[in-house]
Amino acid sequence: MARELIEGAVTVLGDFVSADVVLPARHSFLPPEEMAVQVLKELSPEANAGVRSRPIIVAGEAFGYGTGRESPARALRAAGVKAIVGGPFARMFFRNAINNGLLVLDCPELARSGIADDDRIVIDVVNGAVTWGERRFDVPPVPEIIRNIIAAGSLIDYGRAIVLAQAAGRSS
Amino acid sequence: MTRPQTTVEKILARASGNASVAPNQIVEVAPDFSYSHDYAVFAIDAFEQMGATAVVAPERIAIGLDHGFPVNNARDANNHARIRAFAKKHKFLEFFEGGTGIAHQVMMEKGLVTPGALVLASDSHTPSGGAVGALAIGTGETELGFMWATGRTWLKVPETIRVILTGALQRGVLAKDVMLSIVGRMGVLGGGYKMLEYQGPAVKTLTVSERFTFCNMSAEIGAKSSIFPCDEVTEAFVQSRARFPYAAVSSDVDAVYAKELTIDLASIEPMVALPGREDRGVPVGEAEGRRINQVFIGSCTNARTDDLAIAAAILRNRKVHPDVRLLVVPASRQVGLDIALNGDLAILLEAGATLMPSGCAVCAGAHQGVLGDGEVCLSTSNRNMPGRMGNKNAEIMLCSPATAAASAVTGVVTDARKLNT
Repeated sequence: MARELIEGAVTVLGDFVSADVVLPARHSFLPPEEMAVQVLKELSPEANAGVRSRPIIVAGEAFGYGTGRESPARALRAAGVKAIVGGPFARMFFRNAINNGLLVLDCPELARSGIADDDRIVIDVVNGAVTWGERRFDVPPVPEIIRNIIAAGSLIDYGRAIVLAQAAGRSS
Repeated sequence: MTRPQTTVEKILARASGNASVAPNQIVEVAPDFSYSHDYAVFAIDAFEQMGATAVVAPERIAIGLDHGFPVNNARDANNHARIRAFAKKHKFLEFFEGGTGIAHQVMMEKGLVTPGALVLASDSHTPSGGAVGALAIGTGETELGFMWATGRTWLKVPETIRVILTGALQRGVLAKDVMLSIVGRMGVLGGGYKMLEYQGPAVKTLTVSERFTFCNMSAEIGAKSSIFPCDEVTEAFVQSRARFPYAAVSSDVDAVYAKELTIDLASIEPMVALPGREDRGVPVGEAEGRRINQVFIGSCTNARTDDLAIAAAILRNRKVHPDVRLLVVPASRQVGLDIALNGDLAILLEAGATLMPSGCAVCAGAHQGVLGDGEVCLSTSNRNMPGRMGNKNAEIMLCSPATAAASAVTGVVTDARKLNT
């Protein structure tokens, strides 16, 4: 089932937070629960506490730029993040987040709107809109392949169905 | 009559089985070649969690360990063991043991990255393959496992920025200086989701190693990738190495570009990227005199035979400053062998350099060469954001091998053109 609406409190992060800052390389091989303890700690303890207690990040320009390591995205998933809105985002981080089941939406206006920690937003995936109180922000439609990966839960879940179908095709 | 196509459109059309493709179209592709490194262990996790048992087209897959070798701890040793066993079990075309070199360098040296090919690898510096006219794009690790399991993935067709290179580099100015200038001009996301295609009269004057530096750092403007045309220089490099049949691909003369940028190489000065972000490049004169504690001549950006020759020419009959550690990491064992045979290695060691095993080393920030609080590293690598080298309380500046070598001698950032060579 596709999650058509994602609703919750936000953590607002600034511009140019690199993926190396989201999770330094030395923490790449930690188990998920320990990655959640480390995620965004390089930025501040408050950022770490924020993303572990609120499901949505409002991210500034170039969030996740730099390294293509996937562990920063895995760490955000481990922390309980469901969606990241703002950007524009770096492409490898964008893909890694999607592949870990985190919805990433380009909506730079939201990041510059004065929104603050703990404010609540509603993301309408199907109609391409983000609502913050009275304000509504349009976002580009999410391509079908991305919707399908998010709906499956992650690229691993999405891939599992394909692998099953491949196996069935071979044995029939 | 089909619309004129850019190089990237032609390669993605072929790889997706379409007659033609257009920017922003999402296509499903089968890569011609893919590779990974130490982080392949996460691709193995993904592959197994998907329930896959057979790798699709293992004769088109390679692994080269480079991020942390020799290993520091049992956990990493166990990960390496798991990767070795997986590559053997699934009959990957090649497995390059740690110490062979940085995967991007090794895959090119060994003829696995070829002109016109779609190459995917789980690393952000994969675009290096554009140096030989391949379309080389970085993926995540889960995605790589997905490709092993299914033989394919999806890509959005990017728009292309055409970069026209004219003029000739001045004495003492290197490809790295051009890239630091481009990154400074465009910003860390200035090429976001786009392809850079290098064209123009100066292209033929650039070696494959120099083109490697250009394409490698397209990661630092957030580009999807970048690519040089396949010309006589490419052919001379690739011909005797290529492991796969290949065909050069080039843009149609009337292809449509998102943007055009002309760079007169003669206008470029030696550059230094100031700490904190890759787009903070300034002419070396504006950084001169800044104190440094460590100099790193290494990484996939600038540690090939020609780079180390430039460093050696400056360090000949000189000594590394007593307050500076100079770490030299040849990009591959082949490079190490080259400099051992041509005498440059002896010059570097005589000057006081410390030689480290070929690999990502200091640049990956998780292995060796970590900096202390408040220390400054001047580096020929590609990234200088806080914490990149393993300590957020240290600073990193980026520069060419010439600036790095000259500064290692003086102990402060130095314009190499002011030292007699």
